Amino acid sequence: MRSQLWGLYLREVLRTFRNPFVLLMTIVQPFMWLAFFGSGFGQYAQALAKALGTSNYIEFLLPGVLSTSMLSVGMFGSMSTIQDKRFGFMKRILITPTSKEVIFLSKAFGAATRGLVQIPVMVVAAIAFGVTFSLSPLDWLVWVLALLFAAVGFASMFLAITASSTDWQTPGVVSNFITMPLMFSSAALYPSGGFPSWMKAISDINPISFSASLGRGLVLGTGTNWLDLGYLAIFAVVMVTVGYFVSARWLKVE
Amino acid sequence: MSEPAIVTQELTKRYGSSNGGVLALDHVSLTIPSATVFGLLGPNGAGKTTLIKVLTGISDITSGGARVAGFDVRRESLEVRRRIGWVAAEVILDDDFSAWENLWLQSRLQDLKEWEPRAEHLLQYFGLADRKDDRVSHYSSGMRKKLEIALALLHQPSVIFMDEPTIGLDVSTRRMLWDIVTGIHREFGVTVLLTTHYIEEAEALCDRVGIIDRGRIIATGTPAELKARVKADIVQLETHQPVEAAQLKAIPGVQDVRSQGNDWQIRVTSAEEFLPRLFATIRTDQVRRISVDEPSLETVFLDLTGRQIGSDEPMRDIRKFYAQMRRARA
Repeated sequence: MRSQLWGLYLREVLRTFRNPFVLLMTIVQPFMWLAFFGSGFGQYAQALAKALGTSNYIEFLLPGVLSTSMLSVGMFGSMSTIQDKRFGFMKRILITPTSKEVIFLSKAFGAATRGLVQIPVMVVAAIAFGVTFSLSPLDWLVWVLALLFAAVGFASMFLAITASSTDWQTPGVVSNFITMPLMFSSAALYPSGGFPSWMKAISDINPISFSASLGRGLVLGTGTNWLDLGYLAIFAVVMVTVGYFVSARWLKVE
Repeated sequence: MSEPAIVTQELTKRYGSSNGGVLALDHVSLTIPSATVFGLLGPNGAGKTTLIKVLTGISDITSGGARVAGFDVRRESLEVRRRIGWVAAEVILDDDFSAWENLWLQSRLQDLKEWEPRAEHLLQYFGLADRKDDRVSHYSSGMRKKLEIALALLHQPSVIFMDEPTIGLDVSTRRMLWDIVTGIHREFGVTVLLTTHYIEEAEALCDRVGIIDRGRIIATGTPAELKARVKADIVQLETHQPVEAAQLKAIPGVQDVRSQGNDWQIRVTSAEEFLPRLFATIRTDQVRRISVDEPSLETVFLDLTGRQIGSDEPMRDIRKFYAQMRRARA
């Protein structure tokens, strides 16, 4: 199983890095959020930052945008799976001793790796926007781990939902259906304190909120909340487990 | 005597519900001896690809049983998959990867430890060694097909499934592939199950042929045995002017008459007896061209089903259609 998983995982990663367009889009998308959404408040940005307890709104926004980006990488994992089904590659894999579960794991980890590529680019961009960071390696490790858990969890969720589909349109439709509610019902772009109670309830269990909160601890220097990391780890484990069994049962070959 | 490479017993595959749906394989019982090239000949939609899907474990069996390379397809699927190779109708490669990287990935999927010497040998054998580090997107269609066969052979399978391997290929590439199939069978000693709807392909390559139609195997044997079943000669006739079909049908010994314009295909019990009677019926100056053919596998199919292979079959597999379109654009 390890041999097949490593082979298929590396295939996913290499295909991303060898496709400059996909790589560029992966990096540019969160950067645009930072640039346009972060700068869109114009003269009000200073007042907004002050209200959020920071000197720069982008400091607040960056962890949220990176967390949201981990959500969107799941869609790429699904698209890659559907591409393999449509071009017959899924059949090629399954005629070997490789199982459907291994295919699922390779797609989930591959999508997560693609998501993590965004971190260094976004950090450099944020520094250019005047954001300062903690220099503690432990803080960084925890943040990267949190984003990894979020990415693996969301990628697994997407893969489980689209396991039986062979339609190119499905990942986009599912993404639209899931991404927007999860993004806007989280504390990624603004604090959840002012949410109506029903939205606050969603935000309080939304993994994006936990990931954003952990990142802010690092960026704003308010410390690491280990419970946030624990929650994200549980989210990843649950989603991988669900995806694993759903794929074994419902992953369509073509 | 060694165990047969493939054995199916009353193998049935139904897509959709048990009441309705499509019966793709209808109680197929087949024995394919080891180290042979077995051709499955039939029109589009006959069940050829479904049989391969079922034997490779890609599709579930509805009822009946099958053994491949000595293992039960349902209960010992993993053992079967360790021992089979597959060459698809359309070439399926990772275009962003080189030939060597495609072989590396295949070695991973097959969980092979010492794969490099075998990969080098296969690249040499197929004449791809010089281009092994080039991305396969830069390969010609013939090279891509060769690489795909190399991938299928990497783990030294005992059975290779080739699903319409020459569909959409130009004539020279098709001939090259025929040589390869014959060569790998000889060089590597594998059993090849090949599906095709090209009569000449089945005749040129296969030790034994199974004729499949509407999910049923309707005949098996060597090409010579199958043709010997047809007690008829085929007379091809081209006339200058139209001739009445009834006139030809009335000649003693005529079994069947088909026409397209002034071209006639007349199936007769004995050409030797028919020809004098024909020239007694029509004037010799009416005849533009005439020839007598031995029965072919096409005749066998016609004899068994009353239809010609591919005469009225639409392209049912849309991926095969797209594969052809891609090749046409390349």
